[in-house]
Amino acid sequence: MTITRYTLDDYNGLSDEAFAALVRDFLHEFHPPELRNPVKRLHWQEAKPWYMELARHGWLAPNWPKAYGGMGLSAAKQLVYVEAFETFGAARTPDHGMMLLGPLLIRYGSEAQKAHFLPKILSGEHIWCQGYSEPNAGSDLAALRTQAVLDGEEWVVNGQKTWTTLGGDADWIFMLVRTDPHAKKQEGISFLLVPMDSKGISVRPIVNLDLQDEFSEVFFDDVRVPKANLVGELNKGWSMAKALLGFERIFLGSPRQSAHAFARLKGLAQHHAVWDEPVFWDRYNQLWLDLEDHKALYERFADSLRKGEALGAEVSLLKLNQSELYQRISEFMLEIAGEDGGRLEPVDGQADLHAPGAFLTARAATIYGGASEVQRNIIAKNVLRLP
Amino acid sequence: MALDEERLENVRMLRESAAAVADRNDLSRIRALRFQQPGFDRTTWRQMAELGWFGLRLPEERGGAGLGMAELITLTEEMGAALAPEPYIAALMAIGMLDGDHLQAALSGERVVLAAWQDKPRQLDGGAVEALFVDGRVTGHKLCVPMAGGADAFAVTTRQGPAIVAANDPGVRIEIIPAQDGGHWGTLTFEGARGEPGRAPCEGWLDEAVLATAASLLGLIDAALERTLEYLHTRHQFGVKIGTFQVLQHRAVDLKQHTLLTRASVEDAAAIMDATDGPAAKAAASRAKARSSDAALIVTRQAIQLHGGIGYTDEHDIGLFLRKAMVLAPSLGDAALHRSRFAHFQHQADEIDAGTTGAREGTPL
Repeated sequence: MTITRYTLDDYNGLSDEAFAALVRDFLHEFHPPELRNPVKRLHWQEAKPWYMELARHGWLAPNWPKAYGGMGLSAAKQLVYVEAFETFGAARTPDHGMMLLGPLLIRYGSEAQKAHFLPKILSGEHIWCQGYSEPNAGSDLAALRTQAVLDGEEWVVNGQKTWTTLGGDADWIFMLVRTDPHAKKQEGISFLLVPMDSKGISVRPIVNLDLQDEFSEVFFDDVRVPKANLVGELNKGWSMAKALLGFERIFLGSPRQSAHAFARLKGLAQHHAVWDEPVFWDRYNQLWLDLEDHKALYERFADSLRKGEALGAEVSLLKLNQSELYQRISEFMLEIAGEDGGRLEPVDGQADLHAPGAFLTARAATIYGGASEVQRNIIAKNVLRLP
Repeated sequence: MALDEERLENVRMLRESAAAVADRNDLSRIRALRFQQPGFDRTTWRQMAELGWFGLRLPEERGGAGLGMAELITLTEEMGAALAPEPYIAALMAIGMLDGDHLQAALSGERVVLAAWQDKPRQLDGGAVEALFVDGRVTGHKLCVPMAGGADAFAVTTRQGPAIVAANDPGVRIEIIPAQDGGHWGTLTFEGARGEPGRAPCEGWLDEAVLATAASLLGLIDAALERTLEYLHTRHQFGVKIGTFQVLQHRAVDLKQHTLLTRASVEDAAAIMDATDGPAAKAAASRAKARSSDAALIVTRQAIQLHGGIGYTDEHDIGLFLRKAMVLAPSLGDAALHRSRFAHFQHQADEIDAGTTGAREGTPL
């Protein structure tokens, strides 16, 4: 790590405005211009220069404590960091190591695990992927069946994970495995770390509706890993993973995705010359208003975080609202596009005007991070307290 | 945009005192008053005056409390939740046009003075005023004056500025039009009615009334949802509470989503209006009114559906919320009008933000 004017002992001591300015300067100075506003999720080789640049300044892990090489940002400052990245259109790196595994290891990992794994995340030596979902354990994640059986000093893993983002790029996978098939389903699950080059692992890319291959399936066939690769207590994996679902859930409700789509809608409307049609205006104004109201809703949650309050279950409503608004915008884009809505490739290579791409990408928003129907179940129980 | 501690405390106290005047859990007063003349309570009116509600927005040097929109919407939200029939917003609009004895009598609650500002249906922005005030005499028509039958006087907008006209002046004719919520509007005809000059209202007076109405709708939505959730908890069919049915749970979540969005929109608009009075304030008021008008009709309609057969009876209170929404949603501009008004002013506000003042391409109002 090199010490620059961007490397501070205490970022939280800055005002939000000063910190936001620092982040903006950082992005302008170091973000590779060609990676700005990518239309698809970048693979490791594409994102690597940016990842290493972040690493060089100690900016890779905003959410980790300083002692572990993170930025040690408070929730409020993380909000500023993420918002500045989103506004700039910064490329997302393969960040499962920083966002999910790091905090979990810091909280539940052994000293040896922390000392071994955390620095390798920061150096880019280990790229991590997540092994949670399975073909028969999606919304009902606790139904997962990939099994780990102790055989002497080793776990033997058998089963299949799916929807693993950038599985083909990763060096390691952190996964939920069933270690007690007889316990209540949430209570027989453990958290295990497995090298992706282990004998018996195979990865098959999943091509999604938008014909991108960021997801993959990962198969485990008698994969053997040391006993010490278990994190935390045996059979406590479910509650550990769940405890880590903190205030970061606000980011799933960030207005940025919808705001970006709305800006594209505007360009598309001009391109297709519907700009002067009253029928267009009524729907356009409705979406504009929906977007402004969503921003106001997001700010309410952000204000709570800034005051140091915990987010309640209501934050699920934010995700619900954002994803559905994003879809409505993308659906309107498709309608405006006319015949171009059926095109496979962007007109004249103009990705911003490619309505079918936006439309297809948006389908995922109401599925990932808890499908809308599951979110509604959660809100009904935990917010409305329905029986 | 969050309120500071002092204002949060104001809001908390106002909410408490409002809940004491307008009890959202007891609609017996509302039932007793509906479809009667004048349809509201002078006792409640004087109570509101004693609490200083009529001078809430008036600057301190004119005898008011000089509080902001965040405080005002707290009151109208609570009144909306209790379906209070008192024409508070029309009175506030009038108070901005009063001076001297007229002002004192209105602030003390002794006289009910209501604004008569609307010349045409679906009217909002200026330029459309047709009534005349010449040689101390008012001529013209005014529409949709809420609870006009109970007014002592009207603050009438005219091309020559506001005129204060006594309700019993021989030159005033009031046609009472009963409304779905049990109240009424007056259609006023002025034929040489004697008027006294009032003062010009402040720049944002219509927008303030628009947002106050949006907040009433917010209260109404909130209370209708609260009652509906209660019903889902108590009503049994097929041997279980109907709130256990997933389809009804998801419907209830959708209604909660409308409620939360409306609250975000209304409270955000209040913060914007407290900070600025340019096009951004107008856009915010319209955004909140469009949101609340739509949401109120969706939520109260679904509230009836979720109550089933009992919801279709006049005997059950949930219907009162739908009927109130039918009156307030189009009042001071319906959702469609405010959507295009929002776009018009938001566009201007964005251009000011961007530092461009060039010719506007875009939304016709």
